[in-house]
Amino acid sequence: MATPNPFPAGISKEQAFSMAQTEMEYRVELFNKLAQTCFSKCVDKRYKEAELNMGDNSCIDRCVSKYWQVNGMVGQLLSAGKPPM
Amino acid sequence: MSNDSSAEPAAGSSGSNENVTKIEPIRMPTIEEMRAQEVWNNCAVKSVASGVMGGGLGLMMGLFMGALDNPIMHDTMTGRQQFVYTAKQMGQRSWGSCKTFAVMGLVYSAAECIVEKARAKHDIINTAVAGCVTGGAMSARGGPKAACMGCVGFATFSVLIEKFFDRHT
Repeated sequence: MATPNPFPAGISKEQAFSMAQTEMEYRVELFNKLAQTCFSKCVDKRYKEAELNMGDNSCIDRCVSKYWQVNGMVGQLLSAGKPPM
Repeated sequence: MSNDSSAEPAAGSSGSNENVTKIEPIRMPTIEEMRAQEVWNNCAVKSVASGVMGGGLGLMMGLFMGALDNPIMHDTMTGRQQFVYTAKQMGQRSWGSCKTFAVMGLVYSAAECIVEKARAKHDIINTAVAGCVTGGAMSARGGPKAACMGCVGFATFSVLIEKFFDRHT
């Protein structure tokens, strides 16, 4: 084998591919949920104009920041709790 | 089968499909477009722009009022002197009015922008608070009572104007 193996030891190509696919699905799901949650919280349903107001913008900024932080925290807790389980 | 990009009407159909509105696919904004929109998201830029527009409006109004206000004195001055005098009066009047309106626009826009950013909501309360701040700031020279009256008056005025402009939506 002349070319160096890009994958860590013990993982075949198919496994890496399926892991990437799972990761991609997870990311897409995360983005969709994030957009849906923050849209329903921040944007008034009675649409008056096409553009986002200043208030909508700052609300979306805060919502996304909180969501991302909580997501990171929950992910860490879940991954840290794996061995005792 | 593949109806995903409905950008073109169906070929080969009858002529009644010609006036089907073209639905364009969703386009994410480019980084330049986002930056251009972010410019207007800034409170300072917005308030300065409002101040400039208020100044322009004040200039126009001052010119108009200055032209109306000056009495025509036929006997004391010649025609040319009258013209110069009238022009000076108009200029002074319009400059004063320009300053007033520019300050008013700047303070109102800055207050509304800051309040809306802090509250993260688009409401009528933002306009009321901004109107109160503007009215109070402009009448602050007359003492606290005048400031209160100015606050209430200008807040009511701006709420009414906002509701008037919102009626169509």
